[in-house]
Amino acid sequence: MNLLTLFVIPAGGIALLVLLARLLGFNTQPRLASAEQAGDIARDALIGFHATSAALGDDARAALVASTDGRVALVRPHGDRWIVRVANDAAVTRDGDTLTLALHEPMFAPLSLRLADAAAWQTRLAA
Amino acid sequence: MKFPDPVTIAVPFFIGLVILEMIAVKRGARGAYDWRDSAASLMMGFGSTLAGLLSAGAVAGLAYLFWAHRLFDIPIAWWSGVLCFVLDDFAYYVFHRSAHRVRWFWASHVIHHSSQHYNLTTALRQTWTGFLSLGFIFRLPLFLIGFPPALVFFCAGINLIYQFWIHTEVIKRLPFGLEAWLNTPSHHRVHHGTNPRYLDRNYAGVFIVWDRLLGTYEPEADDEPPRYGIIKNLPTFNPLWTACHEWVGIARDVWNAPNWKARWMYVAGAPGWSPDGSRDTADVIRATWEREQATPAE
Repeated sequence: MNLLTLFVIPAGGIALLVLLARLLGFNTQPRLASAEQAGDIARDALIGFHATSAALGDDARAALVASTDGRVALVRPHGDRWIVRVANDAAVTRDGDTLTLALHEPMFAPLSLRLADAAAWQTRLAA
Repeated sequence: MKFPDPVTIAVPFFIGLVILEMIAVKRGARGAYDWRDSAASLMMGFGSTLAGLLSAGAVAGLAYLFWAHRLFDIPIAWWSGVLCFVLDDFAYYVFHRSAHRVRWFWASHVIHHSSQHYNLTTALRQTWTGFLSLGFIFRLPLFLIGFPPALVFFCAGINLIYQFWIHTEVIKRLPFGLEAWLNTPSHHRVHHGTNPRYLDRNYAGVFIVWDRLLGTYEPEADDEPPRYGIIKNLPTFNPLWTACHEWVGIARDVWNAPNWKARWMYVAGAPGWSPDGSRDTADVIRATWEREQATPAE
């Protein structure tokens, strides 16, 4: 086994497949269609989560969802899918109608959402 | 007798089948791809191959050490090959079940489940830390029984190749009663599902009969498509973080544990175990879901 078979051929194969995936258009940027969809995503990801209300960011690329048990879920995109986290412990800052949430989790980048009722959601997250 | 490495021979077919699946999905077949997810999966597969090369000598050495103390002299023949393949598949079942039920083993295996997609590139998303988590110990009894290491490794390679093609949504179900005894795309989709109904089910490698016999079988329900991934899906495609995130989690938990029992359980308990029950194991998630199913909706 030499460098060619160990590194060059596999790297070429990976590059070929990734390039093909891009060329075929597997590059979706998901958007939330509705608050109900955000609630469904949160319910599927978090056991015992029953959404009572949700607010989409103005670009529909993220959402906050409140549950009957007081939890607030953050729904955000990851590739063409979604990831969900309970955000009650997040460090939250507000600048006008923009909330920025920083979770205490490695590799989870802070996320900003523009919300119509940002102050109310900030209060809810702090409760 | 010298056996070829079946996995090396299969690599061009892997690449060809991934291309075919991508085109099929593009043309409307069931399934999904995301280029970032596929890139991460392929990088994990590449890293896994390199990591496997680094530990191959040690694994082979242990195999021959155990074989030197074998109970029987088993020749290489068609019948021993069949027997070895079946027993190796059972050893894989035990390994795989442990890999989901013991956090130390899960720390390596979680990598394979960390994609929210289920396609042929997911099959290649493999661990970099299999040697560290001691996954190879589950095959050691085969050498002790007396199966020659070359035969066991050949069977293990065939098993690995079999498990490649079942990582697809394109194939719904197999005909001719094959679903009854083989692990199939349908059975394995269940295994990758995070739906409470599907958690920790269908551990089979090749023969689904192990799950049927040992109470871990769950059929795929047509009205409940699997949601792929892990309970807490990763927020990054970074291969290094994908490879080591659970190990970091174990280290952090052990460091902060209140006592030695908790330290032990953080390592040897079920993934999601915590001393105060503030996290959820698969059993807790399933029980909560079953309770909710039994409660009439208001």
